[in-house]
Amino acid sequence: MSRWNRRNVLRGAVNGAAVTVALPFLDCFLDGNGEALAATGAPIPTRFGTWFWGCGINEKRFYPDQVGKDFAFKTETKALAPFKERVTVFSGFNVILDGQPNLTHWSGIMGALTGTTPNRGGNGVGTSLAPTLDCLVADHIAAGTRFKSLQVACTGQSSVSYSMRAGNTVNSSEVDPVALYKRLFGPEFQDPNSGKFTPDPGIMLQQSVLSSVKDSRDELMRGVGAADRARLDQYFTSVREVEQQLAVQLQPPAPAEACAIPKAPAAVELGTTWEDATKMHDRLTDLMVMALACNQTRVFHVALSAAVSNLRKAGQSVALHELTHEEPIDPKLGYQVEATYFLEQSMDVFASLLRKMEAVREGTGTLLDHSLILGLSESNLAKLHTLESLPMIVAGTAGGKWKQGQHISGKGDTTSRVGLTIQQALGMPVGSWGTGANATSRAISEVT
Amino acid sequence: MTKQSHKRIFRPGLAACALAVAAAGLAVTHDIGAVAEPVSQAGPATFRRLSEDQYKRSIAQIFGAEIAVPGRFEPPVREDGLLAIGQSHVVVTPGGLEQYALRAREISAAVLDEAHRARYLQCAPATPAAFDEPCARGFLAKYGRLLFGRPLTNGEAAAAIALSRRAAASSGSFYTGVGAGLSSLLVSPAFVFRMEAVEADPAGGQRLDAYSLATRISFLLWDAPPDEALLDAAADGSLRTPQGLERQVDRMMASPRLEQGVRAFFSDMLAYDQFAGLSKDAQIYPIFNPQLRNDAQEQSLRTIVDHLLVQNGDYRDLYTTRKTFLTRSLGALYGVPVDARGFNGWMPYTFPAGSPHAGLLTLPAFLMLDPSHEGRSSPTIRGMMVRQNFLCQPVPPPPANVNFNLVQDVNDPLHKTARERLAAHQENPVCAGCHKITDPIGLALENYSPVGAFRAQENGVTIDASGKLDGAAYRNAIELTGLLRNSPAASACVVQRVVEYGVGRKLSPGEELWLDALNTRFAQDGYRFRGLLRAVATSPTFQAVAPATLALN
Repeated sequence: MSRWNRRNVLRGAVNGAAVTVALPFLDCFLDGNGEALAATGAPIPTRFGTWFWGCGINEKRFYPDQVGKDFAFKTETKALAPFKERVTVFSGFNVILDGQPNLTHWSGIMGALTGTTPNRGGNGVGTSLAPTLDCLVADHIAAGTRFKSLQVACTGQSSVSYSMRAGNTVNSSEVDPVALYKRLFGPEFQDPNSGKFTPDPGIMLQQSVLSSVKDSRDELMRGVGAADRARLDQYFTSVREVEQQLAVQLQPPAPAEACAIPKAPAAVELGTTWEDATKMHDRLTDLMVMALACNQTRVFHVALSAAVSNLRKAGQSVALHELTHEEPIDPKLGYQVEATYFLEQSMDVFASLLRKMEAVREGTGTLLDHSLILGLSESNLAKLHTLESLPMIVAGTAGGKWKQGQHISGKGDTTSRVGLTIQQALGMPVGSWGTGANATSRAISEVT
Repeated sequence: MTKQSHKRIFRPGLAACALAVAAAGLAVTHDIGAVAEPVSQAGPATFRRLSEDQYKRSIAQIFGAEIAVPGRFEPPVREDGLLAIGQSHVVVTPGGLEQYALRAREISAAVLDEAHRARYLQCAPATPAAFDEPCARGFLAKYGRLLFGRPLTNGEAAAAIALSRRAAASSGSFYTGVGAGLSSLLVSPAFVFRMEAVEADPAGGQRLDAYSLATRISFLLWDAPPDEALLDAAADGSLRTPQGLERQVDRMMASPRLEQGVRAFFSDMLAYDQFAGLSKDAQIYPIFNPQLRNDAQEQSLRTIVDHLLVQNGDYRDLYTTRKTFLTRSLGALYGVPVDARGFNGWMPYTFPAGSPHAGLLTLPAFLMLDPSHEGRSSPTIRGMMVRQNFLCQPVPPPPANVNFNLVQDVNDPLHKTARERLAAHQENPVCAGCHKITDPIGLALENYSPVGAFRAQENGVTIDASGKLDGAAYRNAIELTGLLRNSPAASACVVQRVVEYGVGRKLSPGEELWLDALNTRFAQDGYRFRGLLRAVATSPTFQAVAPATLALN
């Protein structure tokens, strides 16, 4: 960074004429072991994501009958069968309410993702008392990438996101592939494999602007009351993070073997039918997977639907959430047939993301091998908002640090154990996680 | 009833505190015309993130509508019934900041491009390639004051000038230099947020400083930042005199911008943010399309603005008025012929006496505004929206473990209408408590489809829209809305919401007296909304600030 000091480059880029640095273009980016990039010596990075679907499962159709390695997928998880060696199914891990009310479609997802049951919200929105797992992981592994994390939602609402710091403000989702493409691969994108690097004087200028804003911090902090100081402080934290994002843009990008700039997507209809949402998932995750491969980000969150899922079949009068509450349970089959249509297919959509990540070759493995993806929903049986045995599936191996291919039962323990284990597998120095009855210091030894 | 509806907003534990303040407050009063206003402790100052509309309107008001505002805004958050209260709690995430930075860059570039710069700069630099400090200083001071709603501090001005100087030197362009300076003002939290500053009140206690008061008034009336004249009144102290304050408020209320402020208020109170992306199933409701949706929203706002501002009518008559406006697509919904006026604009229309269409609750804007049901109507949601949004009566959420079996299976051969299906709720004691609050109102509106068309039957059975509101019987929605019109909760609710919207938070102990005074005055004034806005904007309590320790939020 010393050479590319902002003020130096500002001086160097007189009249907008930029300095261009030619980089050696390498035929082979990798070292002999295939697990590190020869150009930088850096290991292939590990990525983390959360993948959310709304309205839970039918547990008898979802969880395998057997625990351990020798298990068979059931109907609602059969889409994951091709990935059996690269997924772990967790059952029997509960979000423990710990004296808080069961805030419908909120306590479950926030409890599992923050280790702390929330005290305000319901109907799928609310306040979080602690940051979600993806934010914690991003603080640890996002350095050197352009975007600390990316969030996408497939039903057109940017407020649908289960990624947030403590408070009431979500990290809002990208919902439009055209806008996401522009943000990721627009004019400011630096192709890591182009062999050329041109520091953009415009980015220097943007950094100077943010630096000047930051200089006003102390004066402005004196002007707000104690309660609002934390919110103002968050603003300046965000300024710093965007500054760091810009700093990355001023470094020659490390080559990324699997990075292939995707074609600009065509405009696509936003909608809440199953067909619209799954098409949207396909478009958005195409871009997101390439953002991971091109080292634009290492952390992501995908919401297939809101927790109070408004997904429906075209022409159907009732959406998934209403179906889970209002559709009679088929007496012979023992589940709600219409609602289950969506739940079962949600795993197909999850599997489609895994396929895309598997198709990206990195070193001797794939992008999926270098990732951990936590798939989860906000309830077990949405009909009754149950939080026992909250559905959680982890895919990927975090570069070999996570032993997959198992069905593990928590026997009523807190879901925080899964979150703690993920953090430890990603190399975070975390000994315990969660609060109250959801606090734990017991990682899940079977997977690490 | 009025007092009861107010008490609901206070925490029980603070009742004693509220009473103590009330007792103290009775001793001193401010004369606000017809009714003496009791002095109250007020509540804390707030720190509110501008809404998307407020941001865009600020840029349009300060620089002109031709300056585009690009980028994505972080979604708003509704708290305690209002987005305006949520604004006092939201933050800016890194993803949000990225967008503010992008906007700042593009707005600055547009303001200083060759086509526009002469309009904004009161000077020309000695040479376009070199920094010209006096010219930059004048430009940044002028627009800094408009963006921040107060003059820049010496430190802020010096920082913006130093940045502009550096950027001009490195780019070799004066305009790029001041563009960077302007960008830094646009990314400052002093613009992105409304930061209320507090000063000692010479009469005792604390109050907003004059610029913060100007901003509070301006966003209440215009949903936009103060203009130069209002900032001047803050600067020369005239805003602090009762006459000066009234002069400014009357000037602002005479401005065409009042309409945008009233639209913004009702859009928040009636949760019209839910119109964004609202859709109904095209196969079940082929008449629904984005045009009808947008027209329905506009029809309702037009009806409100015409009734409250143009006609200066009684607020309560919004529940019953047969006057509205139609476009061609709305005419198709009602089966009413629309003449040429409605083809590219709006045709004023009065429904005939006896028509099932009268008042806001029978307009499609209210009837379709349920994003969670795209294929049918939900009497429970409609009833809840009336209770929460029109009467300020919060409805508790359903218990988490409630079993909704059989409640709304629209194909259920035994329960053909919503009333029959919802009877299950009324019979179940766990559900009955809340559904008694919501369902009778919603069932009275079952004669209106999810897109707002009238229907007499559902699944071949005549809809029974009768019920009781607070013991009074009604046979249909028109009789129900007549009862709602005369309900004290309806008028008290709009008073409470105007105050909360203006101060950006739930009310604090001691402000109950203020609400009572405003309610009394509203009634004496014939429930004129203009009068209510003026009373709030000129009220001493509107500028009072509580010591932080008394704050509820």
